Amino acid sequence: MQELQDSNPNAALAMKCTVQKDKLADAVNRVMKAISSKTTIPILTGVKITSGRDGITLTGSNSDISIQTFIPLEEDGNENAVVHTPGQIVLPSRLFSELVRKLQDEDVHIEVDSRFIAKITSGATEFSLNGLDPEEYPNLPIINGSDAFRIRKDLLKDMIKQTVYAVSVTETRPVLTGVKWMINDGKLSCVATDSHRLAQRSVSVENGEDSGTHTLVIPGSSLNELSKILDDDDEQLVDIIMTTNQILFKSNNVQFYSRLLDGNYPDTSRLIPTESKTTIDLGTKDLYRAIERASLLAKEERNNVVKLRAEGNQVEISSQSLELGRVFETLVPEHFEGDPLRISFSAKFMMDALGKLDAQSVRIHFVGPMRPIIIRPIGDENILMLILPIRTF
Amino acid sequence: MGVIKRLSETLANKIAAGEVVERPASVVKELVENAIDAEASSVLIEIEEGGLKRIKVTDDGRGFAPEDCRIAFERHATSKIHEDSDLFHIATLGFRGEALPSISAVSHLELTTSDGVHPGTHLVLQGGHVIADGLAQSRKGTSIKVEGLFYNTPARLKYLKSIHTELGQMTDVVNRMALAYPHVRFTLVHEQKTVFQSNGSGQLSHVLAAIYGVRTAKAAFPFSGKSLDFKVEGLAVHPQISRAGRQYVYIFINNRFIRNYPIFNSIMEGYHTLMMIGRYPICVLHIQMDPSLVDVNVHPAKLEARISKEKELCALISESIRSAFHRERLIPSVTGKPHSRASKPKNEQQTLDFSPTAVTGPDLSEPIEHSEHTQTEKAFSEQVHEPETHTFSSQMAGKDESATTLEQSVQDTSDVEDSPSDEPQRRMPKLYPIGQMHGTYIFAQNEDGLYIIDQHAAQERIKYEFFREKVGETAREVQQLLVPMTFDFSASEYETVTEYQDYLQEIGLNFESFGTRSLIIRSYPTWLPEGREEEMINDIVHQLIETGKVSIKKLREKLAKMMACKRSIKANHYLRPDEIQALLDSLSKAQDPFTCPHGRPVLVHFTPYEMEKMFKRVQ
Ligand SMILES: Nc1ncnc2c1ncn2[C@@H]1O[C@H](COP(=O)(O)OP(=O)(O)OP(=O)(O)O)[C@@H](O)[C@H]1O
Ligand SMILES: [Mg+2]
Ligand SMILES: [Zn+2]
Repeated sequence: MQELQDSNPNAALAMKCTVQKDKLADAVNRVMKAISSKTTIPILTGVKITSGRDGITLTGSNSDISIQTFIPLEEDGNENAVVHTPGQIVLPSRLFSELVRKLQDEDVHIEVDSRFIAKITSGATEFSLNGLDPEEYPNLPIINGSDAFRIRKDLLKDMIKQTVYAVSVTETRPVLTGVKWMINDGKLSCVATDSHRLAQRSVSVENGEDSGTHTLVIPGSSLNELSKILDDDDEQLVDIIMTTNQILFKSNNVQFYSRLLDGNYPDTSRLIPTESKTTIDLGTKDLYRAIERASLLAKEERNNVVKLRAEGNQVEISSQSLELGRVFETLVPEHFEGDPLRISFSAKFMMDALGKLDAQSVRIHFVGPMRPIIIRPIGDENILMLILPIRTF
Repeated sequence: MGVIKRLSETLANKIAAGEVVERPASVVKELVENAIDAEASSVLIEIEEGGLKRIKVTDDGRGFAPEDCRIAFERHATSKIHEDSDLFHIATLGFRGEALPSISAVSHLELTTSDGVHPGTHLVLQGGHVIADGLAQSRKGTSIKVEGLFYNTPARLKYLKSIHTELGQMTDVVNRMALAYPHVRFTLVHEQKTVFQSNGSGQLSHVLAAIYGVRTAKAAFPFSGKSLDFKVEGLAVHPQISRAGRQYVYIFINNRFIRNYPIFNSIMEGYHTLMMIGRYPICVLHIQMDPSLVDVNVHPAKLEARISKEKELCALISESIRSAFHRERLIPSVTGKPHSRASKPKNEQQTLDFSPTAVTGPDLSEPIEHSEHTQTEKAFSEQVHEPETHTFSSQMAGKDESATTLEQSVQDTSDVEDSPSDEPQRRMPKLYPIGQMHGTYIFAQNEDGLYIIDQHAAQERIKYEFFREKVGETAREVQQLLVPMTFDFSASEYETVTEYQDYLQEIGLNFESFGTRSLIIRSYPTWLPEGREEEMINDIVHQLIETGKVSIKKLREKLAKMMACKRSIKANHYLRPDEIQALLDSLSKAQDPFTCPHGRPVLVHFTPYEMEKMFKRVQ
């Protein structure tokens, strides 16, 4: 890597480093997930770059999450970066990320003077960006708890996918915008509900030294972002560290912080019926598609209601629009047990639930037309989806 | 001694003959105006059956001299102007000598009057002819009774509306007169019931209270302004009390009620973004100027006026109203009563700033309880050394004086008058956040009570002020277009656009004709927002058609509003404590922190007293 000359003798040098463009672009891209253009603290629209003895750290932060990516000076015997003068700077994130992506040379040199002006050179291109005082950047939470556990990356992503869709999207009851995590005895169970439906999943995890019970509520939006920035190195373990108001996920060179929601999460266990009056096994895809077709008409009506009738070993899915007409479809269940039944529910809720399940078939339990519907993938007792029916007159 | 002379033929012709009496309300207007011209201090208007049966106006003015009585009913007989040149500086309401003859021509009229010197006169007229003539008491003043209005013009009679409507019109007339002459006491009685009464105290706010109630009057901010040629003053009611119609804006030139669109607009300009779109204020504006600068002889009902130096006047009005609002805290309160404390702004008791952000940047690194503790202490110790921090005793003194509300005590402490601080006045009270509700509203408190802030509106205001500055800086650059934009216009629109082609070119829009009613442009100014160029160009054309000019300032303001709304946090968006603090801090620096650029309130306020009332802790 070539040395860069200090061309601005008037202002003292505040930071100087050289980074591989691809590494930098990748790191910026990830922290951008935590940077919002809408914030009340202007400096948070920027990305913070810290050059230290071991490497370069990028930080982005918003109301819910903070992301830090680290570019080590050396990795697997390759040189990623050189730090000439350690220091830090906050640069306008959108501009910086686009600029980095569009640079042509392999290396990017960043040189910051004491007035926070960053000179960014790559090949024949030279940018001069006005940065902000890094001292004004809010500090990230300090997390040094011993409350920790590890989970496989693919499992973590699955858990998120299968629960986070059910969180509430309005802030009316803030605690419901999160997924409740409960860690107990080597088991992690997650629950999400928006009070019309519920999703629940549990997995085994590798506990840390401490084996107590922890309950915390993580904002759904944080988990969505987390899933997006986790790479595809599926078998790797993610370290998870908890404190009373923050949670930290560590994977490779990424640190992902999220705030935790306070407030009491409602006790959902008693909402899940234990008995079943009608039990039907159906192919997951068949049911999904039947409901999808029925919802074509249902969507036209505002409520998106689909009816299900189970009788004489036959399941009939139907819906109707006063203006457009009606649709009927019969499915033959793999297994049918219990009373005949008529029930109405939201096509969207059912499709949301079914769409998250990988199992070939699902088992659906009904207790009555006004009681919760329970959906479980056949062959996995750890997953449960619940939706409340719609009352029709 | 008689003062009435016939107008010269030429002068009589100069005055446009017009329909003076259109409806009962016009009779009231003419008679009341005459009473005012006679320098009455009290005017009683008695009405029966919406004025159709009887209108009686009694004043305590100078009265008629005996020999003037008959001549007053002749056409173009007036005591008010004598020379042609008098027409150019009319200082009285009447000047045509038309009202009395016109009214008497279509009614049964009785005049009882005395100048207080000579014996009084009693005169009865029917259809304009004197049918009886006698003596009356010699008490100074005049009473004119009009009965059977339009008895001999059935067409007019048919045209009249319900008693209710006619009474409404008459009330409007009397209200306007009362607002025009606060020192004259007006009483309007319909069917023996007093419908309206002003106290003649000379206080405009008393008249406003008589018309709209005490609540509205209390919410009115006095404003005033002066230039070489004009003096303006009046009352502008808090924008929280607004109306759907324009008729609650009263404009008086030399105490004469007039309608004038540019002046109306200048009042709206004064309210600016404080007024919600499609809503209009209640506002009374008095303009005093040399009569020679205004020509009221435009319309027979004298409602219109031509004003020289209108632009200068309008600017003065807008500025006066705007600065009146700037002195005020326009926070709507929950009881609906805006805080209209026109208090001396320099008397605000300075307070210690305990907020953590005052000394250090926001910090998430430590547990909340801990960090707050240490930072508060730091903030405290640093603040105490500042010379600005005033004595606690002054604050205490204030509290003693008025036990009613804390806010008063903070505002009115008089012993800090010689405060040396010349820094710009902070109009926003310092707020300390409590929390956020539904991801949408911020709750905050201070010694004056509870505040609820709409987070979107708050940031919209902050960003709007930022972009308003920024948009103005844009350079004069034009974007060329590969495919020209086509605009289809109506015939008249097309006409206007082609007429103003040169003008449009100056602002960067070069229209070329393209078929009969289509125009194309091949380039547009770069400051037009991306993706909305067409909309903005259409806006420009419509502005041009409506007002004959294009205000780039207005367009850019619209642009700033658009950008502010887009870039602001929305509802349903969680904010962490340091973000809330940052929002409140920047809101306190805004020029107009109380409304969003669309005029909706940014915050509402509950005083401790209001809270106590809510919980029935006080009566
Ligand atoms: N209430 C009154 N007290 C004393 N004088 C009056 C009164 N009403 C009318 N007059 C006298 O009668 C004259 C005629 O009144 P009239 O209203 O017809 O004309 P004007 O007021 O001069 O002009 P205009 O037609 O514009 O109102 C006035 O000029 C005034 O001298
Ligand atoms: Mg008159
Ligand atoms: Zn708005």
